[in-house]
Amino acid sequence: MIDIPQLVSIFLILGGTMAVAWLISPFLTKIFTRAPSRLDRLLNPVENTIYRLTGVDSSHGMGWKEYFLAGLLVNVVQMAIAFVILTFQGVLPLNPMGFSGLNWDLGVNTVISFATNTNLQHYNGETTLSYLSQMGAIQFLQFTSAATGICMGVAMVRGLVVGSKDMGNFYVDFVRSLTRLLIPFCFIAALILVWMGVPQTIGGYVPIKTVEGATGSVLVGPVASLVSIMQLGTNGGGYYGANSAHPFMNPSPQSDVLEICLMLLLPTALVFVFGELLGKKRESRPILLGAYLLFIIDLAIAFVPTLPVAEAAGIETRIGGFYSAFWTVVTTAVTTGSVNTSLAAMHPLTILSGFMGMLIQATPGGKGVGLAYMVMYIIITVFIVGLMSGRTPEYLGIKVNGRDMKIVLVAFLVHPMVILFPTILAYATGAAAAIGITSSSTGFTQILWEFTTAAANNGSDFLGSSANTVFFNISTAFVIFIGRYAPIGLMHALAGSVIGRKRSNAAGGLKTDSFVFSIILVGSILILVVLTFLPFLALGPILSFFQGRVNGFG
Amino acid sequence: MDLGSESAKDGKVAEAVIVGRRRPFISSKVLIDSVVRLSPVRLLSNPVMLIVELTFFIVAAMAAYPQAFVPVASVGERLYYVEIAIILLITVWFSTLSDSLAEQQAKNTASSLRKLESEVPSKKVIREGWTKTVTQTSSKDLRKGDLILLEKGDMVPLDSEVLEGIAMVDESLLTGESAPVKKAPGDALIGGSRVVSDTLTSRVTANPGETFVDQMIKMVESSKRPKTPNEQAVTIVLIGLTAIFTIIVASLLGLSITLNLGADLSVLIALYVCLLPTTIGALLPAIGLSGISRLYARRIVAKSGKAIETAGDADVILLDKTGTITVGNRRAIEFVPLQGHTVREVGEAAFLSSWHDDTPEGRSIINLAYDQGFVPRELNSLALSEVEEFSASTRTSGVRITRGVGFVPSKGNKSGEGRMRFSRKFASGSEENGFGELDITKGAPDSARELLAEVPSDYEVIVNGIASVGETPMALVRNGEAIGIIRLKDVMKEGIKEKIQAVKTLGIRPVMITGDQPLTAKSIAAEVGIDEFVPRARPEDKFEIVKKEQALGRIVAMIGDGTNDAPALAVADVGLAMNSGTEAAKEAANMVDLESNPAKIIDVVMLGKQLLMTRGAVTAFSIANDVAKYFAIMPVLFATTIPQLQAMNILGLGLSTAVLSALIFNAIIIPLLIPLAMRGVAFKPADTMTIFLRNVLIYGIGGVIVPFIGIKLIDVLISVL
Repeated sequence: MIDIPQLVSIFLILGGTMAVAWLISPFLTKIFTRAPSRLDRLLNPVENTIYRLTGVDSSHGMGWKEYFLAGLLVNVVQMAIAFVILTFQGVLPLNPMGFSGLNWDLGVNTVISFATNTNLQHYNGETTLSYLSQMGAIQFLQFTSAATGICMGVAMVRGLVVGSKDMGNFYVDFVRSLTRLLIPFCFIAALILVWMGVPQTIGGYVPIKTVEGATGSVLVGPVASLVSIMQLGTNGGGYYGANSAHPFMNPSPQSDVLEICLMLLLPTALVFVFGELLGKKRESRPILLGAYLLFIIDLAIAFVPTLPVAEAAGIETRIGGFYSAFWTVVTTAVTTGSVNTSLAAMHPLTILSGFMGMLIQATPGGKGVGLAYMVMYIIITVFIVGLMSGRTPEYLGIKVNGRDMKIVLVAFLVHPMVILFPTILAYATGAAAAIGITSSSTGFTQILWEFTTAAANNGSDFLGSSANTVFFNISTAFVIFIGRYAPIGLMHALAGSVIGRKRSNAAGGLKTDSFVFSIILVGSILILVVLTFLPFLALGPILSFFQGRVNGFG
Repeated sequence: MDLGSESAKDGKVAEAVIVGRRRPFISSKVLIDSVVRLSPVRLLSNPVMLIVELTFFIVAAMAAYPQAFVPVASVGERLYYVEIAIILLITVWFSTLSDSLAEQQAKNTASSLRKLESEVPSKKVIREGWTKTVTQTSSKDLRKGDLILLEKGDMVPLDSEVLEGIAMVDESLLTGESAPVKKAPGDALIGGSRVVSDTLTSRVTANPGETFVDQMIKMVESSKRPKTPNEQAVTIVLIGLTAIFTIIVASLLGLSITLNLGADLSVLIALYVCLLPTTIGALLPAIGLSGISRLYARRIVAKSGKAIETAGDADVILLDKTGTITVGNRRAIEFVPLQGHTVREVGEAAFLSSWHDDTPEGRSIINLAYDQGFVPRELNSLALSEVEEFSASTRTSGVRITRGVGFVPSKGNKSGEGRMRFSRKFASGSEENGFGELDITKGAPDSARELLAEVPSDYEVIVNGIASVGETPMALVRNGEAIGIIRLKDVMKEGIKEKIQAVKTLGIRPVMITGDQPLTAKSIAAEVGIDEFVPRARPEDKFEIVKKEQALGRIVAMIGDGTNDAPALAVADVGLAMNSGTEAAKEAANMVDLESNPAKIIDVVMLGKQLLMTRGAVTAFSIANDVAKYFAIMPVLFATTIPQLQAMNILGLGLSTAVLSALIFNAIIIPLLIPLAMRGVAFKPADTMTIFLRNVLIYGIGGVIVPFIGIKLIDVLISVL
C-alpha cells in the first residue's frame, strides 16, 4: 500500500503531465493541420528543402492504403540501413571500444524492435554497440519510429473527421512531426537531463576511482539525447543494459519523475489532439477518462502489495520501491518499456498490472497507436453495449456496420494470437528450456511477458541478453512486426472506409462523450481483456501470487 | 414495453384474429421440429451452435473410447464424459427449440395469410377498342397490368387498383376491420379481400407471388427472411468472439500438453462452450423473427426487417396533423360575421356552401347552421347549383347557385377567368332582391383573400384571433365579398400528447406538417407539445422536408397516404403508408399500416428500438456471463497439477460438480431467456442515455452477477442430489 505523500505525488505527476499535455495540444494540432505557426518562418524553408530533395509533393493527399504503405516502406528502408550499420559496426567508424558486428538474428531483432518503437533489447548496449550504432541506428530509429507512430495515429483520426477527403500525406506528417515536435522537444528535455547529471559526450571510457579506492572505468556517451527520445518517444531502449536503473540514465529522484512525465506526455497530448482534429473536443473525453481510469486501476493493483523495500534484489536505492513500482506501471501503460528496476524484483501483482497495461495498450498506450487501440475498443463497446440504447450503434456519427466490426475484431484478434501461439512454441521447441526457463509460474511469466512486450511494442523484458538466441530473436521480431503493423493497418482500413461515408447527426444518439460512457467503456475493456487473457495470467503472475511469492518473485 | 394501453390492447385483439386461437406453448410438432433441426446440416446457418454440436461429438467419443484420448482424458471418467456430452446436446437442443418456437409463431401467422392468397377464379377483361370481353381466368394466370372485373361476392385475386366503379369491399380477413370499406377509382385493393356490393373494374398491380400478402408471408417465414444489416453485424461479432475463444482454448490445450498441466479435454471443452456466445447465438434468429411478429400484431406490415431497425434510429418524425394529431374532423362551432354582415347571413351562406360537402367538416357546418335556425331560402335552388370541388392548389371549395328566373352575373365578381366565362353563359335576365346568382366560396383565409376585391378591415383581426387559439378560421366569400368567418375546432386524438411526449423524451424531434395557417398550426403544435411545425404545407413539400433533414444527417420517419406522398415515402428512411391510401403510396413506403392509423408511426419507432435493444441486451448478457464461468472452471482445469488455483474458486464449488454446474447454467439460460427474446426488452420512453444506462445495469452488470448466483445454486442442487 502507499501513503498520503505518495498519493499526492501520483496526483501531482499525473495532473501536471495532463496539464502540460493539454497546453501543448493546440501546438501539436497545428503541426498536423498545417495551420500557420510562428515556427513557419524558421522551419518552412527546411521542410520545403527536404520535400524538394526527396521529391515529395506536399500537397498530395493519400488514401489509407497509400498512407499506410508509405509509412511501412519508410520503416522497412530504415530497418535495412540500421541493419547494415549494426552488423558491420566492427568495420565502421566511431567504434573506439572496438565492438564487432551483431549476428544476423540479433541484428534483425534489434532493427525491427527499434523501427517499431518497441526497443526490446536482447543485448547490453554498453558492451555491444559502437557510437555509430547507438546514434546512427538506435537513436535514429527511436526518432523515426516515434514519428511514424504519431503519424499513423493522426492519419487514422483524419479519416474519422467529418468531410475529410484523405488521410493526409505521410511524408509531410513524418517530416513535420520530427522538425516541429520530436527534435525540439527532445533537445529541451536533453538539456534538462544534462543539468540533472546525465552525460552527453562521445568520450568513450572514463577512468574512475571508487570510494573504496579501487580504480576502474565506466563508459559514457551521448546518453542524455537518447534518454530524452527514449522516454518522450515511448521507445524505452536504453544506452545501458540496466536501462533507467543505471545512474547515468536516471541519476536522481528528480530525473525519475521527469522521465515518468516525459513518457506520459505525448500519448496524453495526442488524446487532446484527437478532439481538436475532429473539431469535437469533448470526444477526447472517453479516451482520456478511459485511459486514465484504467491506468488508475493498474496502479491500484500494483500498489495493493507491500512495496518492495530498496534492499530487495534489483531495486535501486536511489529510487526506492514506490517509484520503481510506479515506473513499472507507467512504462507498460504507455508501452515505453524503459525500466528503472529489475522486473524480477517486483511483486507478482505489480507484474500483473504491467501485463494489463501491455494487453490493453491504450492506457493511454504508445503515442498514436494507443489512440488507435482506444478507438478500436470504443467501436467494440459502442457496438455490443450501445445496441442496448435501442439505436443502430454509431460513433462520431458513423453507423457501425458489419464490415467495420470485422476489421475491428480482426485487429483485436491479432494480439492474443501473436502472444499465445509463440509462448506455447517457446516451450514446445525447447527454446525456453535452452535458456534455463522452467514451466513454473515465474518461468511462464517471463516467457509470456517476452511475447506480450513484443506484441505490445513495449520492450521491457525479464530475459535481456539471455534471450539472444535465434528462436527468441526471430520469434519476437516476427511478433513485434505483426503486433505493430497489423492493428495499425486494420485501423487505417477502417478510418479509410469512413471517408466519404454518410454521417448521421443525431441529437438523441448514444453520447460517447459522456462520463457514463467512459465508465462503461472501462468496464467493457476490462471484461474483454480479462476474458481473453485471464487463464494465461492465472498460470503466471496470479499463480505466483497464490503461491505466496512477494518481492523478487523470480 | 409501454406503448400506451390503447395500442397494446389493439395488438392483443389483432393477434387473436390473425394467429388464431393460442396454441399450447410447446406443441409436439415444435418438439419434433426442434429435434430434426439438430442435424448438423441444418445448423450450418448458426456457426456457434454448430461448434457446440461438434464438441458434443468429441465428448461423446471420449465417453465411448476414453483410451484413445489419453493423455487429455482418463478412462476412469467415462460417466463424467457422458454427463457433459448430454448437457452439450441439450444446449444445442434448447437453441433449436427456440428457433422452432419462433418459427411456429410466425408460421401460424403465415398460414392464416396463405388462405388469402389461394388461387381463385377471376374475370379478366380484355378491351379492344370500344368492345370489352370478359374471360374466366385463374388468378395464377393474371399478370401485372391486366384488367379484372370484380362483382358482388368476388374475391380480389391479386393486388390491384380500382379504375371504374365504386363498391364496398370487405378487408376483414386481412386487417381485422369488420366494416366493409368504400373503394373508388384510384383506391388500392388487396388480394384476399372480398367485394360485398356493386361492381368494380380494376387493374392488377402485382404478379402472383409478389403481392402484398406474399411479401408478408416471406417476412414472417424465417428461412426466407434475409438477415438485416444489424443482424449480419451481430453475427460477425459472434464469429469474432468464437474465434477469440477458439484461440484461447486451443492455447490452453497446447500449454497443458507442453507443460504437462494435466488438463482434461472434456473440461477444456466445457470451458470453451461456456465461453462461446451460446445464449445470443441460440436466440438471435428468434429475436429478429419475433420483432416482425410483434409489429404484425399491431397490424403493421413491414416490407423488410431492415425498415424496423431503421425506425429505431429515427431522429425526426414527420407527423401529418390531420389523422395523427387531430382526429381529422374539424367541427364548426361558431359563425363570426365580418363588419356589415349578420350572423344569419354568414350561417346561411355557410349552409349553402357546405350542402355538397360530404366531409365531416362540411356536415358539421350544416349541423351548426341548422341548429341555429339558419336555413337559407335558396335551399330549393341548390339542385341547380354548380359545385366547385375542393382543390388542394386553391384550397377553396364553393357553390354557384342560379335561380330559375334568369341568370345574372353578380356585381363585382372578379373571381377569376373560369368563373367569368361561366357567368357570361348566363348573362341575361334581371337582378332582384340582391339575388341573381350566388357564388359562395369557402376556404382557407389566405386563399380566400385572393378572391376579394377589398379585404374588410376586421378580416385579419378575426382570422388571427381564431387561429391564435388553435382553432381554424374558414373564410366565406359571397360574390367576391368576404362576409364572415366560420370557426372550426380541431379535435385532438386521445393520448396523442403523451405519445408526443414519449417521442420527445426518446430524443426524436416530432415535426408537424399541416395545411393550416401558421397561427393555427402553432397553437395546435403547442397544445400537444410539438416545437416544430410546417404550416401551409402542400403534400409535395414533405419530399423537400425529408431531403433537407437527410442532408443534415438525420434519419427521417414519416407517414403518408396520398399519391402526392409517394416521392417523400420513397426517400424517407422509414415510410409508413396507410392501407386506406393509394397504391402509389403503399408501393413507395416500406411499411403499411393495415388499420390506417397514422399515429402508429410512433409505435413503429418504439418497436424498432425494442428490437435493437433486445438483441444488444442478450449479446451483452451472453458475454458478461463468461466472467463467472472462468471462475467456475479455471480452478478445476488444472486441479491435479496446480492446486493453488483453487484460490480462484471464490464460489466454493465442488471439484467434481463445478464444470457440470457451469455447463448446466449455460444451457438452461437459453430457454429462460426465450420469453425475453420473443417479447422484447421492456422499456419506458426516456432519453437514450437513461435507457442505455438502465439496460447496461440490468443486462451488463446483471450479466456478470447472475451466473455467479445461478452456478452456485445449481452446484448446491447437484451436490444434494
